[in-house]
Amino acid sequence: MTPAATAVGDEAEAGSEDTGPLAVRSDGLTKRFRSGQVAVDGLGLRVPRGAVYGFIGPNGSGKTTTIRMLLGLVQPTGGRSWLLDESMPRASSRVLTRVGALVEGPAFHPYLSGRANLARLDAVDATADPRTRTRRSGEALERVGLSAAADKKYRQYSLGMKQRLGLAAALLRPRDLLVLDEPTNGLDPQGTREVRNLVRELAAGGTTVLVSSHLLAEIEQVCSHVGIMSRGRLVLQGDRSVLAARGDARVAVVTTPSCVATAAEVLRGLGLGSPDVEGVRLVAPLGEVPPERVSAALVRGGVDLVGFEVRRSNLEQVFVELTGEGFDVAR
Amino acid sequence: MGDSARMSSKARWAVPAGAAVAVVGLFAGPPLLASAGSSGLPAITPQELVAAVASHQSQALSGTVAYTARLGLPSLPLGSASDSADPTNLLSGTTTMRVWTDGQERSRVSLIGQTSEYSVVADGPQAWTYSSAKNAVVHFTLDAAAAKRFQAEHGKTTSTPSVAPSMPTPGQLADQSLAQVQKFSTVTVEGQSKVAGRDAYELVVTPQGGGTLVSRVVVAVDSQTKTPLSVQVWSTTNTKDPALEVGFTSVRFAMPSSAVLTFSPPKGASVQQKVVGLPAGHPMAPSAPSATGGLPHGATVHGTGWATVVERSVVPEHGRLQGHAPTTVPAPSGAASSGPGMLGQLGGSDGSTPGMGGDQAALLNELTTKVPQGRLLSSALISVLITNDGHVLAGAVPAATLQALA
Amino acid sequence: MSLADETPSGTLTPQPTAGSERQSPGSRPDASLRPLEPSAGGPDERVPGAFGRLLRSELRLVLGRRRNVILLSGLAAVPLLLALVLFLTRSSQSAGEGPGFVGRVTENGLFLVVAAIFVCLPFLLPLTIAIASGDAIAGEASAGTLRYLLVVPVPRTRLLVVKALAALAFAGSAVLAIAIVGLVAGAGFFGLHDVVLLSGDTVSLGAGALRIAGVVVYVALSMTGLVAVGLFFSTLTEVPVAAMAATVITAIVSGVLDALPALHAIHPWLLTHHWLDFAELLRIQPDWRTLASGLGVQAAWIVIFSTLAWARFTSADVSS
Repeated sequence: MTPAATAVGDEAEAGSEDTGPLAVRSDGLTKRFRSGQVAVDGLGLRVPRGAVYGFIGPNGSGKTTTIRMLLGLVQPTGGRSWLLDESMPRASSRVLTRVGALVEGPAFHPYLSGRANLARLDAVDATADPRTRTRRSGEALERVGLSAAADKKYRQYSLGMKQRLGLAAALLRPRDLLVLDEPTNGLDPQGTREVRNLVRELAAGGTTVLVSSHLLAEIEQVCSHVGIMSRGRLVLQGDRSVLAARGDARVAVVTTPSCVATAAEVLRGLGLGSPDVEGVRLVAPLGEVPPERVSAALVRGGVDLVGFEVRRSNLEQVFVELTGEGFDVAR
Repeated sequence: MGDSARMSSKARWAVPAGAAVAVVGLFAGPPLLASAGSSGLPAITPQELVAAVASHQSQALSGTVAYTARLGLPSLPLGSASDSADPTNLLSGTTTMRVWTDGQERSRVSLIGQTSEYSVVADGPQAWTYSSAKNAVVHFTLDAAAAKRFQAEHGKTTSTPSVAPSMPTPGQLADQSLAQVQKFSTVTVEGQSKVAGRDAYELVVTPQGGGTLVSRVVVAVDSQTKTPLSVQVWSTTNTKDPALEVGFTSVRFAMPSSAVLTFSPPKGASVQQKVVGLPAGHPMAPSAPSATGGLPHGATVHGTGWATVVERSVVPEHGRLQGHAPTTVPAPSGAASSGPGMLGQLGGSDGSTPGMGGDQAALLNELTTKVPQGRLLSSALISVLITNDGHVLAGAVPAATLQALA
Repeated sequence: MSLADETPSGTLTPQPTAGSERQSPGSRPDASLRPLEPSAGGPDERVPGAFGRLLRSELRLVLGRRRNVILLSGLAAVPLLLALVLFLTRSSQSAGEGPGFVGRVTENGLFLVVAAIFVCLPFLLPLTIAIASGDAIAGEASAGTLRYLLVVPVPRTRLLVVKALAALAFAGSAVLAIAIVGLVAGAGFFGLHDVVLLSGDTVSLGAGALRIAGVVVYVALSMTGLVAVGLFFSTLTEVPVAAMAATVITAIVSGVLDALPALHAIHPWLLTHHWLDFAELLRIQPDWRTLASGLGVQAAWIVIFSTLAWARFTSADVSS
């Protein structure tokens, strides 16, 4: 356990962790609704440039409200935030042209085709060149695999196609930062894989990606950094090593009934602390001890090894541990 | 930062608030300033003022007049007449009129309806009324004798001959109340005011001797041209608001364009010809007899001054049904052609009463109530009693006075 | 979930070093690294004509929308229908009668323009305009497209201005649709003749047509206050129908209050009070001050409600 990692959100800790340039930063970002409900509470986001930042939390944990505040859609009731080193929402007209966003699902005019919808979004962009509009929207549609359906009306799109069009809109222009809120919602496994590949590709091109999800699996594979939200607070933030450090690995030994006492003694001798014993099965936290040393010591100690397993917790386990709730729990 | 952003978003609401204040200031400001009393006009005696008013006629002008009647009449059922310009509008509520005159014998007065107009154009020896709602023209011409007299006296007098039914302009009302009833009244100059943006003297005419419904008449007279700009007739029954109020809301003293003062019936309109005579006894007087003008044949007068009651018997061939007696009644208040005047003319079937065509019986029934003596109309300024034996009594007196006379 | 379960321990990192590598070179990655083409014009540069593009896009959206086209067609059908009815009944008893200017149409087709406007003015025209203006912001909010417009980014004030201009253009088109169809149908059914004014005087066809053009312009300008009201309601809600209904109700309530004599004092301030003042242009000497005060009242409504809309829209959270 590294107590520092759980306490992310404290300025000092977050600041010290990343010293490089930040694509997204917030200090004490807070949103209290008029009803009095605090949706986001003192958030200190640190998204380094070039990172793929997994923004994870159960539904209703405040992810979308945070993203809306970052993009200037919702006014924070406290704290401040920066995108690409520009203060928001003051600099929104300057900085948002460099930011592609998918916020809480795609939304387009249902009676326009996908292509016409992209043309509309491009036409309202003061910095987009109308001469290259057709080519750029064609390329964006191609990238998300929507070329064939580009001229269908949006209302005829499936949920997955809508999601793809939303991504295409975010990719209409080269972006320095992509904010993707639940980008895989409504996509089939194939689509989810494609989105992951797209995110990888974009990240390889140098774009910072902030991707939120309540489905950990989708993010786990692509992100270089994570931030975990629970009940409006950021409970964990950092690069993957933070998770590794929390990787609370444990060793499980299955032996014969006669060797249980010996095995327990060997494990204690290695400094693993007292193991939990359930019949012929012993489980002990691994700590810093390499697993191969444990197996060797057990064999040397004459323990009959029926089974040997190292269990490392994945992000999901960390998540459950931190938030104390399942993924689909809404507030 | 967050706090300052919230401050600024709150501050944004100051913009519409400021805009609202500015708008209200802009719209409400000028009239408030304009209604502030004026001062510094040279002093003038009532007699001088009345004499000056009497000769104001030579003023050519055009302007807009607001007319308001609060006669306390039963409200008329909403019908076509209520939204289109029609002289019956003058019985109650506010009516806007446009007035153009060359100061001599040519003039146009238009009652303005929302999408209609009723015009009276007087052009020397002939006159026209035009109702846009009915697309109907009435053309008034003088009979041979009157035409001869008109020719002879043409240009020799300053008084406006009115061939057509006259309309209640401030000038008309002021003339009638000042010229005819002065000997029964106290006339004072009570101060100064501003009407239609012009400085004016306030002349107050107070009836003497009582017995009348009129408590006083206030005439605002333009300080420069001595043209009456507004007239208020106050009733004894309502001390809060004048029962009758006529005044310019804007006025320009200049010769109107000749196109406005002429008229020719439009294609497709129905045209009715009327030949009228000038009443005897008073040269060039309005065809509708006034208190001192020739009384119609068969009329009797009770009382004097403001409390005069005129009694007429029904002319048999017109008395189609009771309560439909042709009568024209003097307008002791001086409001010969305004709402009260029109009440007096109710039942007049000679056609010269504007807009009183076939609906008048119904209108009369709406306005009158049944009393032992017959049918009674009582308003803030005038009472009319149509007796069961076919007499009509009218005057600016309480209803009880008429009932006692009947 | 399932993928996570399959993932064996220690294989969580497909490209664990990518992040740290990219972090160091600096904030802006090399353009050649980008998967997409290097764009003409950097992302920070405004391409000239931005406002025009925004406005054109909005106009195309509003005027090209099928619902709005149907609304305009419906309004345009009014003069046609009116002409047909008047044409078929022209020899009957009631010929030449009708409220407002309807009775004049059979004599002069030019009056079909005015009569159709008069017929549409109490309800159909306000309804159409309320639908377009109430939808302006609320429609985008309910579709969710508002948030995407704002993160494009389109500054809120500019978006509001463009929305207002598009709604005004729609209001103008609505009046114009009635007028043009009225003119064509009137000419076809009844012919165009010299114009008899309300005052009973006759003016030439050219002068009359000019006056009726003035009527069309005045009525179109009279709708601007309602557009501002609709725009304000549109910023208050994410439910377009609510904004539309509130706008229509405002017009109707204003009409009702205008009909109550007891409220005489507030009549001149009412949104709808001066709408029928277009008749002033059909009098022998139009009183320009009457027309100006009618437009002044509209201007007052515009100033108050557009600033309200601005204050609301630029400070509201977009949570749809």
